Amino acid sequence: MSDLTTDQVGALAAALGLPATADDLAEVTHRLNALIEALAPLADLPLEAVEPVPGFGEAPAS
Amino acid sequence: MTADRDLAFLSARQIAALVRERSVSPVEITRVYLERIERLDPRLRAYITVMAESALHSARGAETAVMRRQPLGPLHGVPYAVKDQFDTAGVRTTSGSRILEHHVPVEDATTITRLNAAGGILLGKLNLTEFALGGTQQFPFGQPRNPWNLDHDPGGSSSGSGIAVAAGLCAASLGEDTGGSVRSPASFCGVVGLRPTWSRVSRHGSFPLSWSMDTPGPLTRTVEDAAWLLQAIAGYDAKDPLSSRAPVPEYASALGGAVRGLRVGVIRELVFGPETEAEVRESVVAAARRLERLGAVTEELSLRLVPFAGAIFMALGDADGAGVHHRWLRTRPGDYDQGTRRRLLTASLIPSAIQQRAARARALLRAELREALARFDLLLCPTAHQAAPPISAARGAISGRQEVAGRFFTRRSYVTPAALAGLPAIAVPCGFTRAGLPISLQLIGRHFDEATVLRAAHAYERESEWSQRRPPGTT
Repeated sequence: MSDLTTDQVGALAAALGLPATADDLAEVTHRLNALIEALAPLADLPLEAVEPVPGFGEAPAS
Repeated sequence: MTADRDLAFLSARQIAALVRERSVSPVEITRVYLERIERLDPRLRAYITVMAESALHSARGAETAVMRRQPLGPLHGVPYAVKDQFDTAGVRTTSGSRILEHHVPVEDATTITRLNAAGGILLGKLNLTEFALGGTQQFPFGQPRNPWNLDHDPGGSSSGSGIAVAAGLCAASLGEDTGGSVRSPASFCGVVGLRPTWSRVSRHGSFPLSWSMDTPGPLTRTVEDAAWLLQAIAGYDAKDPLSSRAPVPEYASALGGAVRGLRVGVIRELVFGPETEAEVRESVVAAARRLERLGAVTEELSLRLVPFAGAIFMALGDADGAGVHHRWLRTRPGDYDQGTRRRLLTASLIPSAIQQRAARARALLRAELREALARFDLLLCPTAHQAAPPISAARGAISGRQEVAGRFFTRRSYVTPAALAGLPAIAVPCGFTRAGLPISLQLIGRHFDEATVLRAAHAYERESEWSQRRPPGTT
């Protein structure tokens, strides 16, 4: 996924009705791009083999 | 003053024993803490609301019960405090935010009801990072400070819960751990912090962040106290439909058990990884050696997904939080702290493909931990990669993506594996840096096996002196 720009982030926020200052958008853009970059290597894992559920309800240890 | 100091740093169980044998009155010990709060808290800012009047009223009632030889709960006469994320009937509950500055609940959180039923005396409501998220820039109710060095971070989000226990401003406290919020302040403040198995403790009356990870847990000066507080708050609650119906064992009776033969896996990525500071590594390795001398069998293992846990958590837990806050983000954005607002805005905009990737990676991480805990009774690592950093280190706007990784992802990768997998984990003091700041050992156990976590932590604590030290200026 290519980097998001501040304009794109601003458009996303506006679409959701979320007010944000220019400084907010600049920082949120850094944060979003950092998160996307940090999670990028996970795309190489066998993710399709598992379902995206939190996994609660594990049994007590025996 | 010396006598008061000695009382203030007794364990909760010691206080309960002295109250039971009429050596200390609940009113006397409550006054000791109220005096200390008045004297020390203006610079520590552990408390948002001190409930002096109601605490003394409860203490008088507790004293009457003792004198009348009525049945006493296990925490009878023990003054405790709670993170201001837990509802208190008739007492404002702010969640550390201006948005809820005047919010007064009509009902106690289940955890508070249970601690009071065990005989606890509620002293007040403790400071936290706004809405239990990290990264608060300006605390609306005062900057909480680390009692070991006032210029350093006390950890969060249960900041006041760690400070108050470390500084002798209560006998024990309650925090809430979504992604490390009990264990991080315990680590930075040099106290014990227990995250129970997710669903072991009711979340009813606790302001939510992430429904699949929020877990109330105790912060205490001893592991034994953590066991007793967990005993008081654990168990099914009809008001929290996701709370577990699994039987609650007698945690305190497990404390004396042997550690000999326990299999302890040392997580290579977190103990020996490049992010872990040398002093932390040395202390944690020494703690592992001490467990070996007690008879545990340690072995290194690799958990390759653990370094991604911080980012996975922020893609999932923060997105849950963004859902909780969506209305206020639209209507009251200026009432949030800048750091909170930007974190929640970010979480609101995470692409669904990224969230899906994180959710599936969480399932793989959980499987990785489950397989490890089939081989080992416990997993061992630092609670944090460093001792408490200066408060100034996390101040100011973020100017680049590398800064995001440093501020948010790295440190969370130490505490979020247990959170993402719903596992119990404890933070126990295991040393000090040369600058005099606490270092913390983390032990992670199997689902609902808090007893083994507590047993190993207790055995380690008995063989070390770290829990005996007190922050300067608090004695």
